[in-house]
Amino acid sequence: MGKDHLRYDGPAKVSGGAKYASDAQPGGWLYGMILRSPWPAARIRAIDLRPALSLPGIRAAVTANDPPFTVRYCGEELAAVAALSKQSGLDALRAIKVDADLLPFVVKEEAALRDTSPRVFENLPNAGEPREMQTGDVNSAFGTSYKTVEGFFQTQVQLHQCLETHGNTIQVTPEGITCWASTQGISSVRDSLVDSTGVPVDKVHVMSEFMGGGFGSKYGAGIEGGLAARLSKEAHLPVRLMLTRFDEALAVGNRPSSFQKVRLSANKDGTLVGYELEAFGTAGYASGGTTAGGGGGAGFPAPYIYRIPSTRVRQTTVAINAGSARAMRAPGHPQASFGMESILDEMALALGMDPVELRIKNDPSEIRRQQYKIAAERFGWNARYRFAASSEGPVKIGVGCAGATWGGGGHGSEAEVRINPDGSVEVRCGTQDLGTGTKTLIAIVAAEVFGLEPAAISVSIGDTTFPPSGGSGGSTTAASVAPAVFDACQSALADLTSASGISDPTGLNWRAATARLRINPVVARGRWKEGLSSRGVGGVQMAEVEVDAETGFVRVKRIVCVQDCGLVVNRLASISQINGGIIMGIGFALYEERILDDQTGIVLNPNFETYKLPGAADVPEIDVILQDMPERGVIGIGEPVTIPTAAAIANAVSNAIGKRVTRLPITPPRVLGLLGKLPGIQSTYKSGTG
Amino acid sequence: MQNFEYATARSVDGAIQSSTSESRFLAGGIDLLGEMKEYITSPKRIIDIKLIPDLDRIDTSTSIWKLGANVTIAEIAKNERILATLPSLAEAASEVGSPQIRNVATLGGNLAQHSRCWYYRHRDLRCLKRGGSTCYARDGENKYHSLFSGNPCISPVVSNLAVILAALNARVNVRRGDKEIGLTIGELYSDAWNNPLAHNSLLPGDLIAHVEIPTQKNRSTYLQVSEKDAFDWALVSCAVAGRNSGDQWADVSIFLGAVAPIPFRVESPLLERGDLSREAIESIAESVVSKATPMAHNGYKVPIAQVLIRRALARIVS
Repeated sequence: MGKDHLRYDGPAKVSGGAKYASDAQPGGWLYGMILRSPWPAARIRAIDLRPALSLPGIRAAVTANDPPFTVRYCGEELAAVAALSKQSGLDALRAIKVDADLLPFVVKEEAALRDTSPRVFENLPNAGEPREMQTGDVNSAFGTSYKTVEGFFQTQVQLHQCLETHGNTIQVTPEGITCWASTQGISSVRDSLVDSTGVPVDKVHVMSEFMGGGFGSKYGAGIEGGLAARLSKEAHLPVRLMLTRFDEALAVGNRPSSFQKVRLSANKDGTLVGYELEAFGTAGYASGGTTAGGGGGAGFPAPYIYRIPSTRVRQTTVAINAGSARAMRAPGHPQASFGMESILDEMALALGMDPVELRIKNDPSEIRRQQYKIAAERFGWNARYRFAASSEGPVKIGVGCAGATWGGGGHGSEAEVRINPDGSVEVRCGTQDLGTGTKTLIAIVAAEVFGLEPAAISVSIGDTTFPPSGGSGGSTTAASVAPAVFDACQSALADLTSASGISDPTGLNWRAATARLRINPVVARGRWKEGLSSRGVGGVQMAEVEVDAETGFVRVKRIVCVQDCGLVVNRLASISQINGGIIMGIGFALYEERILDDQTGIVLNPNFETYKLPGAADVPEIDVILQDMPERGVIGIGEPVTIPTAAAIANAVSNAIGKRVTRLPITPPRVLGLLGKLPGIQSTYKSGTG
Repeated sequence: MQNFEYATARSVDGAIQSSTSESRFLAGGIDLLGEMKEYITSPKRIIDIKLIPDLDRIDTSTSIWKLGANVTIAEIAKNERILATLPSLAEAASEVGSPQIRNVATLGGNLAQHSRCWYYRHRDLRCLKRGGSTCYARDGENKYHSLFSGNPCISPVVSNLAVILAALNARVNVRRGDKEIGLTIGELYSDAWNNPLAHNSLLPGDLIAHVEIPTQKNRSTYLQVSEKDAFDWALVSCAVAGRNSGDQWADVSIFLGAVAPIPFRVESPLLERGDLSREAIESIAESVVSKATPMAHNGYKVPIAQVLIRRALARIVS
């Protein structure tokens, strides 16, 4: 434990041996594909599938709903076909005749809030009931405080853009359903297929041995899975329905936008006393639905992290004619972090106080207060913060920091271990690996208990016939699976001890002990227990950026990350996961944004050409300090590590240019705007240093 | 995509003979296949020109270099003669796409590529450039669009190579029927300035055979600003080239990319006089502002164009 272990399944992945949902080739499989609405709002009166069905190579076609029905965003499912070839399927989609009445629509949040705006649902206002919370006495806190700062901050809709698209290969027969899924939850895919088909649970078999990434959007079989099952049933053949990159930008979830009007007040010594937030954002046409994994609207935790006695918060989710949100890596937190950490830096400027000092003063977490000190030392914060404000020439250096908080505890996973008489060990668990190294983690835990090398353990996951485990979300997989495997191994070891009569069968005694089993393997089951995992992590990041003040181009030079995660199981995999979270945060800070056209309601950038993801050249030096706290047990860190990156970068850019960044992503046009360099447009928001 | 016939040409003559009003030539396929998959274009016949001998040659035997249309972008970026004599051309090539794209994309294809406007490229729209009635970008999301245009379409030219080749006074040799015609870069794109339906001045059946690049200009440079560090289009690009001996400058030209449907020439009497003093550079950069007509979201291109002009001129002077 706590050492660097290479991935258990690395060779299989890089050699192509690993089989993903789209690699399954059950005999006779057909291409499934979906016809999507090109209209942001329309009443679908009729869908004629006959022209598609009459084409060669088409084995089935279904409508997504029985007309008449209403579509509420560009990309909503209309129909689907199953075809012998990809091209015949594409031809069939184009042949389907849709009779629709177009309806008025709205795709911009501010416009949707107006009373005169078209309604996404005709009987409901676009703005939902605001969520309001209040503590203490806000008016008096603002009235008596030493300094008050305010700002208006915006974050964009970010798309999940898993590199493996959503989808399934599904075979429906009279005997039941077999599904190869790209999923974060084989059990929840099974349950959603049970719900949508009425086939009993024991007849639905879901597998996901390998999958290419999921950030909260891959829990159920999805509408695409339901359609694939119907096509398979109709065609009497298996159907592979993987979404296209175009589809991914429209219909499989996103991170909601946020528009945050914030006020913050503090005493002279930096103690925060008052906080006020009025926020709205969009989670698309709806905030979730059965396949969404709990989108939860556009709300976010506020005030984020810091202890403030008097607070008033009002948050509204506004519907627009666009694809809906789904939980996305630390739902709500990156938005919350950007607003909070930005206004906090404004306060630091107003008070003439070091931003790190201000955070340490107001952060209730002892762990995070320590992390700020460790990060500051490693980063060289004190010297760099002063240097930054004085950099000369067009390229400005800036530094910024931000913190994170996350739960990430374990839940009721089970696991099974089998010790064979020849000494081989098999572990089976009905979890799935998002790419974080779950199989490797299982092998490490079992190897540790048995005194073996991880390579000696064979691990099988991603199958609903294995002992049940939960969905892989909320940073809970490691903390759920590791204790269950540990428990199973402990039981198995006790059984082996008594069966072999060898008091310590581990390590060098292993072969001798297992040989005494003769023909009966030891099989033991374990389950997650309290005490081997815990929840609650902090995390602090510091960013150094270079901003070309003449072109507006931002380059992240360095990120220092201090992260606690309880007991470190695999140091290498943990750091790899942190790198990934930080890179995703860089995308949120600088590049990624779903862009909707308000004339037509379409998504203008449904591709990687104009939906910009960070590439290798955009990745800075990432310096991770991983705090090992074995006494706390295992805690997941998938989510916390992406939370503070954007806020730290935004603060660093603000520090570099002396103007407050108020909107993500921080593109060259926006930097030039902040600097008042746009023709005819002057910067209106001036930073405390300006 | 729609069905099509596939023909392989072994000579330029063969390619021309095989072409019809509804055929397209295939070299790297980066641009063409993308449009076909989105049903933006559906040619009846594809004529593969990759096997035509000599079209992938770089001939540097005379002072006017001759680059075949099938020379890959990767080759231009790494060719030692080009790196030694015309490094600006290699720089422009090295900013094109990704290594995978540069390995297959060609000089001819880069020059003849079609609009990347996201309204034009969207499968569910039919904008002005696709024969519809509206340029959605004018009143829509136009941050990547033109500051200058002679027609209602504001989709800009995005070929990096066009911008530097314009500055280098290159000529494009095109086979049009039996004739071989030579076009300046300005002429290659002039139709796109006037006609919303045009991406360039090529007619159906025209084949870019090679590009002639004079090497008299001994100083040149290419700069671009993108949103990402690599594998990204230029928000604005700038190429300058001129002849220098001692303190004397002649034939200095400046072209901007991604601000107009054509490589946009920055004109100034100071350039004609060969005045590249600090004051002159400032005044040349300043002159761009008055001519531009920014839309709602592309005004930022003006200051970027100005700084690129300043930096590019400062770079060739130093």
